Amino acid sequence: MAERTGPAPTVARRSASSAWQVRAARAIPYAVAFLTILGGWQVAALLFPAYLIPSPGRVMLRLSQELRREAFLVTIGRSFVRLSIGFVLACLLGLVMGLVSGIWAFFRRYARTLVSILQSVPPIAWVPLFIILFGFGDYPIILVIIIAAFFPMTVSVMNAVEQVDVLRVDVARLLGANRRQLITKVYAPEVIPAIITGAQVGFGNAWRSLIAAEMVGGVNVGLGWFINFAGEVADMVAVLAGIFVIGSCSALLDGLILERIKRRLLRWKYV
Amino acid sequence: MEIRVNAASGNGLGKKINVEDLTLDYGPLRVIDHVGFGVQEGEFLAVVGPSGCGKSTLLRIMAGLVGPTRGRVLIDGVEVLGPNPRRNLVFQDHALYPWRTVFQNVALGLEIQGQSPAQIRKRVGDLLAAVGLEAFAAYYPHQLSGGQRQRAAFTRVLAVDPDVLFLDEPFGALDAITRLILQDELLQLWVDSGKTVVLVTHDVEEALLLADRVIIMSPLPGRIREILPVPEKRPRDRGSATLASFKRIILGILGLEPVIGKATLRGRDFSI
Repeated sequence: MAERTGPAPTVARRSASSAWQVRAARAIPYAVAFLTILGGWQVAALLFPAYLIPSPGRVMLRLSQELRREAFLVTIGRSFVRLSIGFVLACLLGLVMGLVSGIWAFFRRYARTLVSILQSVPPIAWVPLFIILFGFGDYPIILVIIIAAFFPMTVSVMNAVEQVDVLRVDVARLLGANRRQLITKVYAPEVIPAIITGAQVGFGNAWRSLIAAEMVGGVNVGLGWFINFAGEVADMVAVLAGIFVIGSCSALLDGLILERIKRRLLRWKYV
Repeated sequence: MEIRVNAASGNGLGKKINVEDLTLDYGPLRVIDHVGFGVQEGEFLAVVGPSGCGKSTLLRIMAGLVGPTRGRVLIDGVEVLGPNPRRNLVFQDHALYPWRTVFQNVALGLEIQGQSPAQIRKRVGDLLAAVGLEAFAAYYPHQLSGGQRQRAAFTRVLAVDPDVLFLDEPFGALDAITRLILQDELLQLWVDSGKTVVLVTHDVEEALLLADRVIIMSPLPGRIREILPVPEKRPRDRGSATLASFKRIILGILGLEPVIGKATLRGRDFSI
């Protein structure tokens, strides 16, 4: 009897530990990527004098002090507000442009030209113009984010609409779908993966332009400004603390929010 | 068991489907050239021909997905001007939506009709049980076998209860054993439901096993070479000698077999 009942808990324990192992195995690449950067930094800190490249330990210490300072939290918060507004507007604009050009050939050519011109100009180059137009403040920065982030969305949605499987459209037509039902039941689900790709690529662009625009945009609050200011007073510990915050925020937002939304929307791909 | 007798082809009046002098040009290319025939209510008609002879295009025109350059298709005396759930098409590619489960795929037509979730649950549940897919209702298409996918695609079309079924090489992508099973199931469905079926296939044996009549088309531009009734009563045996010699006649018409003699069918001589 004892022998017969024996195996059940063993099996249960084994499957529990293998689930843990799977999770750990998945985390390894992330940890290695993180350690690569940290290791490179530590090596550089050993090769150069501390006033040029401070060690990770010193930067972490400074960061923990900064995070207790209200002004630093306000600076991070303001960057996030600019990023959120700019990124959301860019996504909406890109989505509308992509969808319209997917179904209207004239607009498609128009949008392609617009995108190829705007794509070749570094978004940051617009800053002087926008500052003259709108003055110092949030508007030039948000506008730069929109310009930087809308076109990945536009291009990927445009291509996705063009490539929608004709057969799947025909199936819905044969089942009696009207135009609205074709859009909600076929086109929208077909285009969702492209929307996610557009958002992920656009997010990287938005983040980079945010920091760059804050560095040159003449504002006095924001992560970009924080790094720029620290550089001007040769405070390398603060520069690296700012860079560390940017990198980890971006990784967290991408990994925790965008990646989760993607898995939620595309859950049929992960079964 | 049911034995159907072909009604003599009449003047086209009172037929379920009338294809009248259909021509389709893609630019300078003539794909279908003056094709005309009728289909009786409840008939099982097969169209065979070499690949690229326009037989799939013919089916798309009949289903209302493509408009012809000249001619027209009448179903129940009404000209086909667009797709309609009453006459539906099953493709060789199952064309299931990968983001929908089997249940949701089958439910699509009912959703489009605006049926209530309770009605849909009942109807789809019954249909899936009838084709042995009830255990797979919550699965996504990529988790199914080829045969199960095609069964789901058939069920999606049957959910809206069409009275005309167009089948575009529906078993063409399946392995040989699954194909035999699904052919039998299709035959049973046709016998039980009395639907009018038009099957496009490049598999002559399949056409002979299933159809009342076979239309043989010529290569591009697609024209009708022959319309022949299948000279075998139902239920048919895959190994039947009559079907085997009839197959030789058809392959002879298609020019796919060397001529080895003559056969007489309905008072006409054919090289075989």
